[in-house]
Amino acid sequence: MSKLTKFLVLAGGVAISTFLASTFFVPSSVPPAMAGGDTTVISRSSRAYEHPAPNLSEKSNEEHFEGDLAFDAVFVTAPARVNPGLGPQFNNASCTGCHLRNGRGLPEKGQLLVRVSNPENASNLPDKDDYHAERVAPSENTPPVPGIGTQIQDQAIYGHPPEARVEISWKAEKGQYQDGTGYELRSPQATITLPNEQPLPSEVLTSLRIPPPVFGLGLLEAVPEKNILALADPKDSNNDGISGRPNQVWDMEQKKITLGRFGLKANQPNLLQQSAAAYFNDMGVTNPLFLEADGSSDIDAQTLKAAAVYAQTLAVPARTLIKDQKVKRGEQLFTKANCASCHISELRTGQHEYAELENQTIHPYTDMLLHDMGAGLADNRPDFEATGSEWRTSPLWGIGVTQTVLPYSSYLHDGRARTLEEAILWHGGEAQSAQQTFMAMAEEDRDALVRFLHSL
Amino acid sequence: MLSKKTINPQALEVSVVQRRTPKTLSLMGAVLAVLLLGTGCETTTTTSESGGSSSSAGGNVQLISDFPEQVVIPTYKLLVEKSNTLKTKVDAFTADANVETLKAAQVAWTEAREPWEQSEAFAFGPAESLGYDGDLDDWPVNETDLKGVLKGAAPISAETVEGLQTTQKGFHTIELLLFGSDNNKTAADFSDREKQLVQQLATAFDQTANDLVTSWSEGIDGNPAYKTVLATAGSEDNSAYPTSQSALEEIVGGIIGCLDEVGNEKIGEPLKAKTTDDLESRFSHTSATDFKNNLIGAQNAYLGKSKAGTSGASLSAWLAEKDADLDAQIQKELQAAIDAVAAIPAPIEPKISEEAALAQMQSAQDAVLTAFSTFEEQVLPLVESS
Repeated sequence: MSKLTKFLVLAGGVAISTFLASTFFVPSSVPPAMAGGDTTVISRSSRAYEHPAPNLSEKSNEEHFEGDLAFDAVFVTAPARVNPGLGPQFNNASCTGCHLRNGRGLPEKGQLLVRVSNPENASNLPDKDDYHAERVAPSENTPPVPGIGTQIQDQAIYGHPPEARVEISWKAEKGQYQDGTGYELRSPQATITLPNEQPLPSEVLTSLRIPPPVFGLGLLEAVPEKNILALADPKDSNNDGISGRPNQVWDMEQKKITLGRFGLKANQPNLLQQSAAAYFNDMGVTNPLFLEADGSSDIDAQTLKAAAVYAQTLAVPARTLIKDQKVKRGEQLFTKANCASCHISELRTGQHEYAELENQTIHPYTDMLLHDMGAGLADNRPDFEATGSEWRTSPLWGIGVTQTVLPYSSYLHDGRARTLEEAILWHGGEAQSAQQTFMAMAEEDRDALVRFLHSL
Repeated sequence: MLSKKTINPQALEVSVVQRRTPKTLSLMGAVLAVLLLGTGCETTTTTSESGGSSSSAGGNVQLISDFPEQVVIPTYKLLVEKSNTLKTKVDAFTADANVETLKAAQVAWTEAREPWEQSEAFAFGPAESLGYDGDLDDWPVNETDLKGVLKGAAPISAETVEGLQTTQKGFHTIELLLFGSDNNKTAADFSDREKQLVQQLATAFDQTANDLVTSWSEGIDGNPAYKTVLATAGSEDNSAYPTSQSALEEIVGGIIGCLDEVGNEKIGEPLKAKTTDDLESRFSHTSATDFKNNLIGAQNAYLGKSKAGTSGASLSAWLAEKDADLDAQIQKELQAAIDAVAAIPAPIEPKISEEAALAQMQSAQDAVLTAFSTFEEQVLPLVESS
């Protein structure tokens, strides 16, 4: 029996008439639990980020399933019967190897990666005639580092040296809330050693990253550009101390500058290009956007697209505990502290290749814009329009299940924050005043605000 | 790897009417379909004012504390026992390679596989996030790099294994070394370097198995024991499971994930391709045994017991209180799936292109997916509204 037939048998005539009535009288506001509109799924287990959107058509669902296989595929060294094309250098061998259960990764080898670039005026740029696929996505302010490119691949197939060895140590610093309660923060310090045992030259700019979650991205892709630009306030003309800016990046297919949406600094315009860059940079798997020198590639356009479609069509987990009094109070405090100025709670999607993603009211808690987050979080590595201290506002939907999906995982771009409380404390720059409001709160208010975040 | 899931309105306290494709809409009658399509409205949602999500543990307390104690940890302990035997037998083989010692090592591999495959019905928690799953059971094997290591001159040591990719260690690399690429290896085929490598791999494997059980029973690297994380679901300081339903959903989700993987991938992909390429344990010709152990794992998880003879409060009993017929149905469907898989001619590897074998694979897939759908469509909604 199909799900629908079952529904009809169970629901009976009354429900059908309700169904018809509600079809014609669409309520104006959608409850905040429906974080991803019709793509929302109820799940608070470790599978929370792995569900296909429940509103997918049969055809889209099949495409999602194909994408799931592509996303799971573990690559090995060619030649091989299954999944050849790994490397020669790489960070991990599969999409899910970094994006474990589609969630936020850990700052560990295989998940943590280091983006690098030379300063713009560097003299030791690689030979322009030396083909390297990393250079097909030009960004003038991220000149590649000779022998490495723009990302350190710290693993390699047999017979090839990894580009460098990356070791992380943690620096601790103590602080105090206004009420005298102490806390300790930590930040990663990377020691990077080249194959010749020399350290990475000190002028090379580095940026440590952990993988962000991959669900809900199709919806963010479907938010009309004009809606995002309308949220921008580059000169802070409303004097609220917050000046969101869009990134403007290179679209490899359209061969033009366009709005950046994805990546921690919004340096990718769409999910196809994001996926292609990840195949190439993270796994060393060449693809139609990042070709081998001879024009061939390890995977074809269909596989690349499948992986992108998978991320596009994943469900967003619904909020939980929406009637919990403490959660409600936390939500008010979140707004009062001005967190919601950048972590915008509601956006509306427009057109998309997948009709299921269109015209949805969503609750991602992001404005998709770049903000100066202060010296504490700065990586000092510019990327297109993003300066060394700017990051794109991270979506907060589903953040409450981060450590359910991946126990012991952590927050912020490099996984330095072990708790959501630590993540808030790291906010600086444009978010300084929000952070200070949090610092000044009584313990029960801080707890309520964090509990609200856990309900997302 | 998850298949489609429907939303349960009760848990959200909103009623959701899902859009269906035009094909299924025709079931509702032409008039209704016309009305619906005419509106262009995909999903309609209405809110209800009452209620709120519960964070009380209710009747689930015993279940969520028994599950790790009586199902998860005993199964992993069995894995540790068998992985230790594997290490011992591989040591014995490398010290004196002959028909008997090789056979003993191969048998030990197969026996270690059993609790591991059964544990895939609860693959959540540290197995994934601390990388044990990848270290123990990554697939496919990077055969090209493995050949490189074996042909190379660098000494093979514990450090060598540490530097290997996950696709060059764990079950399937050990399998390839012990059984050959088509269950055709003899003791005389082994080079000294193969013996050294398989010995180091078996040692590393045993260590990882030990770490895995420790991560659940005591905690590792300063992290809390995962049994405690699960058992304290619903307490306010539990950042993983803020409600007891979420822990229950985790346990049900583990079973669903396992059934999904066996049905749609482990059986489904070879069924489509009709080659051995996607059969997980094709080197040792034991893929069908894997299917069976996955299903027994799902059954054990449902009944709250383990191969080691332990048992406790069960999902089955919890469900029977709410819906005895559904519980009986699930027990029947799980057993039917096990029986259908047992009917696949084993080993399946040499027969994968034969009609009769494919027909049995198909019946097995149908039986597994029947149980999968029941869990997904009927058990999960009950958990969410509990």
